[in-house]
Parts: sequence; C-alpha cells; structure tokens
Amino acid sequence: MIEKPVIQLIDVRRYYLVGEYLVKALDGVSLSIPRGSFTAIMGPSGSGKSTMMNLIGCLDTPTSGYITIGGEMTNGMNEEELAYLRNEKIGFVFQQFNLLGKVNALENVMTPMTYAGIPHKERRERAEEMLEKVGLKDRMKHLPSELSGGQKQRVAIARALVNDPDILLADEPTGALDSKTGSEVMGLFQELHEEGRTIVFVTHDRKLGSQCPNQVLIKDGRIVEGDVFGES
Amino acid sequence: MFLENLKLAFNSMFTNKMRTFLSLLGIVIGVGSVVTIMNLGESVKRSITDSMNIGGVDEVSVIPTGANAVFSEEFAYTFQDNVLGIESVSIYVNTNATLRNGQETKNAQVYGVTSNYFDSSEDILYGDFFTRENNLHRDQVVVLGYDLAQDLFPGGDAVGSYVSIFRNQSKQYRVVGVLDDTSGSISTNTNNYAFIPFNTFDQRLKKVNAVSQYTIKIKEGYNATDVAADIKSYLSTVASSNDYYVSSAQELVNMTESVTGYLTTFLAAIAAISLLVGGIGIMNIMLVTVVERTREIGIRKALGATPKTIRSQFLVEATVLSIFGGVIGIIFGVVVSYVVASAAGWTLYFSIGAIVLSLAFSSAVGIFFGWYPAAKAAALDPIEALAYE
Repeated sequence: MIEKPVIQLIDVRRYYLVGEYLVKALDGVSLSIPRGSFTAIMGPSGSGKSTMMNLIGCLDTPTSGYITIGGEMTNGMNEEELAYLRNEKIGFVFQQFNLLGKVNALENVMTPMTYAGIPHKERRERAEEMLEKVGLKDRMKHLPSELSGGQKQRVAIARALVNDPDILLADEPTGALDSKTGSEVMGLFQELHEEGRTIVFVTHDRKLGSQCPNQVLIKDGRIVEGDVFGES
Repeated sequence: MFLENLKLAFNSMFTNKMRTFLSLLGIVIGVGSVVTIMNLGESVKRSITDSMNIGGVDEVSVIPTGANAVFSEEFAYTFQDNVLGIESVSIYVNTNATLRNGQETKNAQVYGVTSNYFDSSEDILYGDFFTRENNLHRDQVVVLGYDLAQDLFPGGDAVGSYVSIFRNQSKQYRVVGVLDDTSGSISTNTNNYAFIPFNTFDQRLKKVNAVSQYTIKIKEGYNATDVAADIKSYLSTVASSNDYYVSSAQELVNMTESVTGYLTTFLAAIAAISLLVGGIGIMNIMLVTVVERTREIGIRKALGATPKTIRSQFLVEATVLSIFGGVIGIIFGVVVSYVVASAAGWTLYFSIGAIVLSLAFSSAVGIFFGWYPAAKAAALDPIEALAYE
C-alpha cells in the first residue's frame, strides 16, 4: 500500500486583486510531498513561493484547485477550522523567529499546546523535554531578548515541534543567522529529517536548497524544471 | 485558557504602568465620583432623618381646610375613641393681632391652644407654660415667642409683666412664659408667635368657628405612618376629603428621604457619564494595543489560536483593565467621601450598593468597550499580521 502524500496540491491557483490588476501569484501548481521527505521550495522573490508556503501552512486558501494537508482538504474551511489545522498539523519556523517577546522560552514553547487544550502540567513537561532536545535546557526561563539568534531559532523549532505536527514548515530559517549558526540550524533540520519528520524548507538560496534531498523550483507562479535562478 | 488570558492581561497591564494609569484615569474618576456621591448622599439622608427624629416625628396634624362645622373643639376628643395609638390631641386656632407694651407695638400671630399643645416640642426659656386651669378659667395669660418677647420687652423683664392684645378691643394679658429661640430648628419657628389659652381665645379674642389644627401625638410603640393612615380613614367617615388635610412629620421624613434619594441618583447618573468617557478611554487604549501587537496576534494565529481565542484574550485584558480601574476608583471614592464627610461633620455611611454597582458597571464597561478592539484583533488576517513591522 502506498501511503498518501502528506501534502498534496492539485492545480492550485491563487490570484489577488491589487488595485485593478489581477496578480496570479500561483497559477496552476500541482505537487505531492510524501511523508518523511525533506523538500526545498526554491525560487527568486516574487516567484510565488511565499504564497505556496501560506497555502501549505493553512494561513490562506486557494482561489481554485485542491489542497490536502495530512489528508484533510482545506478548501472551504473557515478561519476556525484552519486554526485547528495549523495547531495540529503544521509547525512554523520563520526567518525572523517570531517568538512572543513578553514571555520566556518555556512559555513560548507551551503556547501551541495551550491552544490545543492540553493541561498545564503536561504542557510544561513536554515543553521542557522539547527545549532539552534542541539544546536549550539551561535557557528555558530566558526571555527571547536574552537569547542569541541561533538560540531563538532553536526555541522556535522546539515550539514548532511540540504539538507533533505532520509538517515542519520553515521559511528561510537561516536567513537572519550568521553562516556558522545557520549551518548549525541546518544540521538540526537534517537530524529531524533523519528522525522521520516531514520538512518543507522555503528559500531563495539555491545553495541551501541544494542540501535538501528533494527540490521544487518555482518561477512566475509555476513549478518549473531546471534552473530558475537564471544561471547556467 | 482563561487563566492564561488573565496572566497575559496582568502582564501587559504592568508592562507600561504610566500608560495603564493614564488610560484608567477616566474610569477611576467615574467610579470614584459615583461612589463619593452615593456615599455622601446616603450620609446626608441619614443625618437629615436623624435630625428630624429629634422631635415631631411622632405627631400627626389634621388641618381643617373647609368650613365644616364638625371640626370643633370637642371633635378633638373623638380621635382617641376611634383610632388606636393616640397619646394626646392638642388643638389650636390662630389669628392676627397687635400686641403692645408701653411704646412697643408688634403685629403677631396669636394662637389659642390647649395646655397640652406645649407637650410636644417647644422649650420654655423663662417662666412657665400656662396650665389646664388657666384654660378652664379663661385666664388672660400669654406665652410669648422669643423674638416677640425681645421686641416688646427690650429690658428682658417680660415674665410677670402685662401686655395688651388688640383685636376690636384691647385686653391686658399677663406674661407667664417666654419660649426658647426656635430659629434654625426644623419644626415650626415660634419666635413671633403669642400663645394664649384656647378658651380665652374663644371667649375674649375671637369666637372660634373651626379649629385651625389638631395636633395628635402618637403613643410610643406605634408607627406614625400607620396611625396617620388610620386617622385618615376615620376622618373620611366624618367629613369630605376636601374639608381637611392630614400631615405627619413621618411623611415629611419619608418625602425628604425620597427627595435626597432622587437627588443622589440624579448626581450619580451624571457621574456615570464620566464612566462612559472612561470606557471610551479603555477602548482607545485597547485599539492602540491591538495595532501594536499585530505581529503577536499573527504569531498566535499561526500557532493555532482561533479568532475566538484571540477575541477572548483581548476581551479579558480590557475587562481586567477596567475592573482594576474600578477598584482604584472605589478606594478613591471612599477616601474622598471620608474626607468630605469629616470636614462637613456628617457621620459617614457607606453605600454598599454603590460599590457593588460600580464594580459591575466597570466590568460591563470593559466588556462593552473592549468588544470592538477584541473583534478587530480576532479578524486580523494572519498573513498580513505576520508581515506587520
């Protein structure tokens, strides 16, 4: 039996109306991402990769076409249903970390579990466990402002993983880090991949993207074969 | 979830103390003034009632208004036979007359009263009241009001002297007593009155057709309002309701209480307008907060917060803020009313109702004025919110 892909896009279009102009951010994209894969979605800025990330992350719904995330079709879902899906199936890692600034690392990691309705004691235990796993056992009580960039991104990864999502969705996760810290974070993703996590890695950097086993190239809202960066 | 929201609310409230304080000022002043006004209103009401209770509350007056012949001197004796709880009934008639002592002349109200008229309140300054015998013998004796005695006897030797009372003809009356100064008292000011025995009045000054007023003293242990009602129903069997008027000091007390009550409510309602203004202050700060925390809202949504979750987070924050303001306002109001009451020399009574009401009102204000900003936060698009700088 072949397992269903964890992410499936069928002829997905996402159009925006900007003033009088129709912007075709995604224009007929079909894509299957199998469970346990490590996929880079690459493309220059304006190519539509952010739109694709938003769609996969259930932050947005398509104008037409079908998207299934972990077997659930997002078409026609209301905000509340999308929120549940994000909480349950998606773990976000952002370029700018996006930690909650007023609460410490531990509480940041606990937040998705709060929305999942997990009791406080269990939240705490799981968050501590997850922070330990990303190597921040001794920084749990620190505010994000007291952490380095690499540490912040580790907190964000711990937070993304704490609800055991189907997909880890990383948007330029090394973009705000120096190259040494960046490669450390990249190493962490590799480890997670080896543990069997499904990772979608969105980047404009082809060198980073080429480290991923699977690669999808986007240009002008379509998936293209070959070199999208205009190099030979 | 609610506990988390509560924690977040306190967290953000104490992050920017100055801003929190300024945005709460409206609600603090609003609640403070409502509590102050209600407390002071309660205190004034009670101090008025207390001062009225000193004398006269145990009296009911029946004032004939028509020329109904039933209201004679003898009618006074029928009250006790028909109504329970009456201690005594005194009567009076009055007319205008001129009083003279040597060169001093004075126009005054002359009252013909039975001797028990003085039982109720007036205090004698010099001499004594006239007696039951004086009345029976139609003696020409008089008790003068304080000012009247001063005017007619500047030398102060009124008691024992004689004064002339003119009405058609002049007659000599012996002064037996002078009443104490009653100006500033809540009961009738007798300073310019002269009192003579009822029968003397009838016989020697002016023939009595109808009694001017029956003053009925209530027995101890009876409720003045109830007895007044019984008196009214008794009167309705003997005369048309157009022919008399019944007034009891208790009714006056009740009326004063209700007037003070209305006034307090009215002032409190005006003060409540500032609560509304305070609510707008809360809304304003919550709108600012939502804009400032757009990115946080985006993050929370990405992590799985539903619109409902976000809305309750901000609603709890607004409510906590306004209840906090309400509590400060109550403390402020209690302190101010304490200061005012002690400066004015009133006994301070706390209006528990006002305090409970203020708390309820300020939380209602928080929910009402927090709703719009909270709904705005809940409706934010997660993609735009995440991209917000």
